[in-house]
Amino acid sequence: MADAVVFDQVVKTYRTGFLGRGAGIPALRSVSLKVPAGGVFGLLGPNRAGKTTLVKLLLSLARPTAGTITRLGASLADRRTLARIGYMHENHAFPRYLSAGELLAFYGGLSGVPGEQVGAKVEQLLVRVGLADRRSEPIARFSKGMVQRLGLAQALLNDPDLLILDEPTEGLDLGGRQLMREVVREMKAAGKTVLLVSHVLPEVEQLCDSLAILVSGKVVHTGTVANLLRDPRTGEKRSLESALRSLYEKGQAA
Amino acid sequence: MNALPTAIRTVRWMVRDTFRQSLASKLFWVMLGFTVLCTLFCLGITVNTPGERPRHSAEIPDRLPKGYDPRAAEQGIPESGGTMTLGFGLFELNVPKFREDAVRFFQVWLAGILADTVGVLLALLWTAGFLPTFLEPHAVTVLLAKPAPRWSLLVGKYLGVVLFVALHATLFVGGTWIGMGISTGVWNSTYWLAVPLLIINFAVFYAFSAFLAVCTRSTVVAVFGTLLFWLLCWAVNMTHLHTIAVEVQGLTPASTFLLDAGYWVLPKPLDMSGIFFDAMKARDYSTPIPQLEIAKAKGQFYPELSVLTSLAFAVGILALAVYEFRTMDY
Repeated sequence: MADAVVFDQVVKTYRTGFLGRGAGIPALRSVSLKVPAGGVFGLLGPNRAGKTTLVKLLLSLARPTAGTITRLGASLADRRTLARIGYMHENHAFPRYLSAGELLAFYGGLSGVPGEQVGAKVEQLLVRVGLADRRSEPIARFSKGMVQRLGLAQALLNDPDLLILDEPTEGLDLGGRQLMREVVREMKAAGKTVLLVSHVLPEVEQLCDSLAILVSGKVVHTGTVANLLRDPRTGEKRSLESALRSLYEKGQAA
Repeated sequence: MNALPTAIRTVRWMVRDTFRQSLASKLFWVMLGFTVLCTLFCLGITVNTPGERPRHSAEIPDRLPKGYDPRAAEQGIPESGGTMTLGFGLFELNVPKFREDAVRFFQVWLAGILADTVGVLLALLWTAGFLPTFLEPHAVTVLLAKPAPRWSLLVGKYLGVVLFVALHATLFVGGTWIGMGISTGVWNSTYWLAVPLLIINFAVFYAFSAFLAVCTRSTVVAVFGTLLFWLLCWAVNMTHLHTIAVEVQGLTPASTFLLDAGYWVLPKPLDMSGIFFDAMKARDYSTPIPQLEIAKAKGQFYPELSVLTSLAFAVGILALAVYEFRTMDY
């Protein structure tokens, strides 16, 4: 199976100081990682591990200091691949003056959805995320959970081949979490790729086929969830939480 | 997906979004209200020029309205002129003898000074928050993750604001032109030149505001930085004209070079007003900027170059803003 995303020796150091002449803050240290196509890939790690930076590099929101990234078979310089990617993150600050329908039409236009299809696509997605009756309401009146649902809808506007979800269930109620899981499973069933960044361990355990664990800007583990849940010394099954704690400690000590 | 059609579509969406934002923030209605007030004010103008006769083609117009020429009392020179009432008869002014001159005099002050100075500064103040809000990291990251070229997002937002102000400049000039036309019977089409003047002046300074917004993402910096920059440009422009007008002695070659360089590099708000005054033949009855008149008389005023270099500054600073935006990490 081809890889949806390949990180090869990727380094990211954020510039600091006047004109970026400061020492810089290292966020990723020589990260090499492959996200297989057609499955759900989890990205885990403690705070400040570099998960969000990895996602930002993948979406061309930031540039790598060194190394190469291949996105859906093309280099980062080819922005056309972004038309095949959907992205949802935890803290959306959508323009509060737009209504849900207007926002999706706006993002649909920028995502390359043909003009004649935008209207139908917006309707379909508003129904899918349970906001059809709030179509004309300004986003300023939406709760955090509703904004998250809208964030999911905008990520699906272009029928993405790769869906990136950064802490997607943050602020969602039970129904919203259920919806998110359904969407991930549907994507997987359609042979598409989902990159899931999450701290919610049961969600990762239920949804992910394989995962990578980042600690202090380095990959400390990659593999299937089943492998991670088996203690390498005793061979016994362990909880995801204890597996992660052990890897986090090992990674931070290194 | 081709890059150019994508960029054009992005610019169109960003322009549409800016208009939507202006409607939601009530700025659209505030500016429209200001135009309506000015139009009503113009409808309340009357001009009375008793004994007005057809103007001879070679006739030198009155420079001063009746009652303003000191020679009249001293030497008994007869004065001619009429009166203009404002606010439906609340105030009365003495004006030159031709109705058309009186209306042009008023239009120069309305468009060339009130709208071009107070109006442009207010528009810069009111719209300064548009770009920093748009560039706020949590707001812009979703947009930047779309396949649209980064430059087109910024240029689209900039164009959106400029088009928004252009619409209001047109409404303002159109409204006041109709108002004055109805109340005075003078339909001076040259007044419409105020529209490009206002748009260019705003576009030039808003490019600087966009640069500040991209570099700092702060509304406060964008507002005060742009107002201070306008003041600097005005001062450099005025100093340049003043040194020509009064031939200041004792300037070192270095300071002369710096002043000249500053003048030619920076936008020239006074020169732009001067071009409008010329088009309105303002010098026939008023000299709003005496130094500019002297520079013109000495042949040291180059209107085309003034406009071109001001526009070149806008393009340059916008290109810098786009470069910064394209290479910035979010």
